[in-house]
Amino acid sequence: MTHEEAHQRLTAVFRDIFDNPSLEIADSTTADDIDDWDSVNHITLIAAVESEFKIKLSTRDVKNLANVGDFLKLIESKAA
Amino acid sequence: MSFLSIVFAAFLAAGLLVYHNAPVPRRPAILLVLSFLFYATWSVWDAALLLAVTAGVYGAARLLDQTPSESRKLRLLTVAIAGLLVLLVGFKCAWLLATQLNAAWVEGNPNAVLLLAAPLGLSYYSFKLLGYLLDVYWGTLPARRDFVPVALYAAFFPQIVSGPIQRAQDFFTQLDAQRASDPDSFVLGLRRILFGLFKKVAIADQLAVVVTHAHGHSLQHSSLELLLGAYCFSLQMYADFSGITDIAIGTGLLFGIRGPENFNRPYFAAANLQEFWRRWHMSLTSWLTDYLFVPLRMTFRHLGNAGLALAIFINMVAVGIWHGPRWTYLVFGCLNGVFMIVSVLTLKRRNQFFKTRPTLTRWRAWVAPLVTFHLVVLTHIFFQAPDLHSALSYLGQMLHLAPHGTVAASRMDLSSFGLTYGRLFQALAGLVVMETIHWAMSQPDWAQRFNTTRREFRWVLYYAVIVIVMLSARGTTSFIYAKF
Repeated sequence: MTHEEAHQRLTAVFRDIFDNPSLEIADSTTADDIDDWDSVNHITLIAAVESEFKIKLSTRDVKNLANVGDFLKLIESKAA
Repeated sequence: MSFLSIVFAAFLAAGLLVYHNAPVPRRPAILLVLSFLFYATWSVWDAALLLAVTAGVYGAARLLDQTPSESRKLRLLTVAIAGLLVLLVGFKCAWLLATQLNAAWVEGNPNAVLLLAAPLGLSYYSFKLLGYLLDVYWGTLPARRDFVPVALYAAFFPQIVSGPIQRAQDFFTQLDAQRASDPDSFVLGLRRILFGLFKKVAIADQLAVVVTHAHGHSLQHSSLELLLGAYCFSLQMYADFSGITDIAIGTGLLFGIRGPENFNRPYFAAANLQEFWRRWHMSLTSWLTDYLFVPLRMTFRHLGNAGLALAIFINMVAVGIWHGPRWTYLVFGCLNGVFMIVSVLTLKRRNQFFKTRPTLTRWRAWVAPLVTFHLVVLTHIFFQAPDLHSALSYLGQMLHLAPHGTVAASRMDLSSFGLTYGRLFQALAGLVVMETIHWAMSQPDWAQRFNTTRREFRWVLYYAVIVIVMLSARGTTSFIYAKF
């Protein structure tokens, strides 16, 4: 899976969870940039990412995410 | 030693003199000694316990950092957390258990209080230390090599009585960055203490008259008067708790440490219960979100909405029983849990419904905060009542469901509370002033803008507040949140 492909698939997950078909995400995007990205939706997002990329994430993985760039790196390392 | 005592004022003045005249590298150790002196005035044994618990957590965190094996790390973390939780739950439940098992021994034994009463601030310092351990385990914070910063973090006297619950990383970053004494921070601190005193004495203590009478003699009051009592308690608790938080943050600032905020205009700004809890007792709710709700959500994440509801419910029950092992706190937590589950699960649909109805949306902006406020007032009836029976009879009489005696349901006689319209008006005017100041403080650069106003204006304001505080003082009272 290329970085580009991971980015595209993650964007699709974000659009679905936040119910916004035109949502764009960048490596620097954080929870402050997206309305409704709170602690409730964060884990909904994690579960959707796990099912999309067929990976398993732990609480520790989730704790250390600062932005979308970190999220992509984590997905790529787990999916590798 | 209470925050509202001359002894505390003298202790603070002497402590500040010693602290700011000492070389910077020695200051954390001095602040630690001051913190333990303050704490030991409540109980020397509790101070010894605090020191022992901190030493245990310090050692466990160091071991966590040095252990390469994941399974050993997890075992170590489990033992350390279990130890802290046993201490917390054990002390909180000891009194309850002892009175259930052998009430005669408890009542006839003067040492029972000494043995069984939970140490002051246990709920606060144990949560701080739990958070520190989890941060080290999750790798978000390295374990501190020196003992002094960890011990100071747990014992920091401005925060030990009633919070706020500062995060370890925030505290250590500020402690490490301390260089010279900062006069600006000093001014901010004094101002904050004055604001806290105003909230406590000019607002909370005035409203307390209504609350104490309404809850103590509910049968003597009409439904309408009991409704006033319920409103007054929610407003009193806000002024009281945010007042002591201001004194804690202000005192911390005098020593160059800024504690986290606990309130962000929770009433009339929160459009739903989840937003209310993001604005109320924020240092506790954000702590629980990070260390309880997120792990629970992760555990139940594949259960869909049922998992979400379960995580919310457990989290809100934890908020309730954090205050103590009482049925009223449990019901307070359960009610909040149920209200929040309904609110969270229906939010998306409600938003879609209002999206296409602009007129209703305008109404919603006014009605939603009012509904939220009333849900909070309802849960606070359970929070305030001494037991479940009292809470239910208060609620029954307030809603005119229970028999009332001879008082007409719609009577509104302030003298039945021993209160005058003037005093109630003073408290309500104080609330308006308080919320206006909160609003001003939320504006960018408010401190700078305030500092550039005319000096005469600022000093007249300070003296006016001091005079109001002195005139309103009704003798020694305690803070609601100092008992947790």
